[in-house]
Amino acid sequence: MSGGTTTRVDARGGSLFAGSASVRALVYVALAALLFGFGAIAPTHLASEFVLRIGAGGLLLGMLALSVAFLMSQAGLVVLGAASVYGGVGYLFAIAMSKWDLSPTAALLFAFCTVIAYAAVLGALIVRTNPLAFMMLTLAAGEMISHSVMLEGLRDYTSGADGLVVTFKGAVFGMTAADFANATQFWPIAWSAAWILGFAAFAVRRSRFGAILRAIQENEERMRFSGFGTYLPRLAAFVFVNAIADVCGLLHVLNSGFVSPESLGLSVSTNALVAALVGGVANSTGPIAGGVLFAFAQDQFGAHGFTQLLTGLAVVVFIVLLPRGVIGGLIEGARRRSVLSSKRRRTA
Amino acid sequence: MLEIANLSVSYGRVRALDGVEIAIKGAGALHGIIGPNGAGKSTLLDVVTGRRSPSGGAVRYRGKDVTRKSVAWRRRHGMARSFQRTSIFQDLTVREQLTLIARHLGDDRLGDVIEVMNLGDCLDEKAGRIAYGVQRRVDVALALIGRPELLLMDEPGAGLSAEETLNLFLHLRDLVRDRGMAAVVVEHDVDAVFACCDVVTVLDLGRHLATGAPAEIRADARVIAAYLGSAA
Repeated sequence: MSGGTTTRVDARGGSLFAGSASVRALVYVALAALLFGFGAIAPTHLASEFVLRIGAGGLLLGMLALSVAFLMSQAGLVVLGAASVYGGVGYLFAIAMSKWDLSPTAALLFAFCTVIAYAAVLGALIVRTNPLAFMMLTLAAGEMISHSVMLEGLRDYTSGADGLVVTFKGAVFGMTAADFANATQFWPIAWSAAWILGFAAFAVRRSRFGAILRAIQENEERMRFSGFGTYLPRLAAFVFVNAIADVCGLLHVLNSGFVSPESLGLSVSTNALVAALVGGVANSTGPIAGGVLFAFAQDQFGAHGFTQLLTGLAVVVFIVLLPRGVIGGLIEGARRRSVLSSKRRRTA
Repeated sequence: MLEIANLSVSYGRVRALDGVEIAIKGAGALHGIIGPNGAGKSTLLDVVTGRRSPSGGAVRYRGKDVTRKSVAWRRRHGMARSFQRTSIFQDLTVREQLTLIARHLGDDRLGDVIEVMNLGDCLDEKAGRIAYGVQRRVDVALALIGRPELLLMDEPGAGLSAEETLNLFLHLRDLVRDRGMAAVVVEHDVDAVFACCDVVTVLDLGRHLATGAPAEIRADARVIAAYLGSAA
């Protein structure tokens, strides 16, 4: 019936003629390596400390946006409580050092693992719910944590509205607190982290697990009728995106040396969501680019004194004109051009 | 292979299934289920495949009570299903969805399914962009992956012409015999069912009316009165 085509299908469904694809992949890897190296070094020589600081803040927001975007695009779930992880891990890191005398590295690991455990428990309770309920539950959990740091009974640990200054002696991964606070030294770290997390999200997206998540999002019933459990993949995805937000929160607290209730606030979560939408949620580059764009735009809008008004206008314009986000729009444009040019070649 | 014992399903005061008892024979048998609208045919398939829990009774598969087993468990143990409304992954290519499920179920003979369902020409098309008839074949192909022992199909002829439905049933009959599996088909097109099925069960208002060979069912006075009428 279709022997000619089926002979090219192996059990994994892959094509057996993939020579040119591997050459193309090598070219992409080389270009990415060049871009990575250039991006890590050049700004530290070319940009002012002020610009580097905003850029690094943008990368941190972008990484948080990446966590939000991943779950949106792969599982159709919107997280409105990303800040609870982002700020919460900072609090845990600070408290573990100041109250329990843990070394900075041990405190870092403790904070990271505790947040992962929290995400696993929260996820176990809420990933079964429908997308709207899920969104509201993440918001509720985030708000509970945000308000709990203000409780009088926890003031000895959290310092209430004053927040906590996070200082540490010695070094974490070979860097002192002063190194992390230095914009020139922090930039390559934030840049590398953005690449590593972006690549991790890309790899998961392209993996079989990513395909399972997308398939569950599209037709959960058919997945169950194909022998798949749909609960554990969703839970794993939720823990994965919280791990991204976890790393991002740790970098934030190491860089700023301070953690306050503001870092747990709803505005951090919504900024991450907006950054994801501005950059585009369907790939790993979009949210990170969206975070950087958002940070620089906020700075410019702030200079004019109309931060919220201009941000709101810009978000509306971006979402209406570029529904797939800046990077998503660029990719779509390139794809259309490629289709058009191949059609022209065929007709010629 | 499959034993449905005293199965009941209620929606409030309405009894969609009322003490239904059916035994589905094993390898190579095509079992048709017919009945007027509201007879409980689709509900029966839902309960057998785990989509819906029964109010009473039991479903036994290969001698084991599976009434409380999950949909995924049943599928992994050889009970597959296709749907009345095509249930495929519109945004995935045909190849992507077939390979995803084949790998999960450890089926290394995906090429056979592709050939049997004649899908070789559309493997790299997104499923949402192919013709409806081909989508129906993809739906059946998804159910055939993993070489199920029992295939349950809810109106596979929905949306197809009478000729297409008959061809599909003939194809199914061959498939069931070649693969040595059992298949249960719920269908409105009685001509196709009588022409191709080995055994036919008739449901009416949630109750089991009759089971037998197509010729016996055609001649059954209760079936004629309740459902077939002049079509017999």
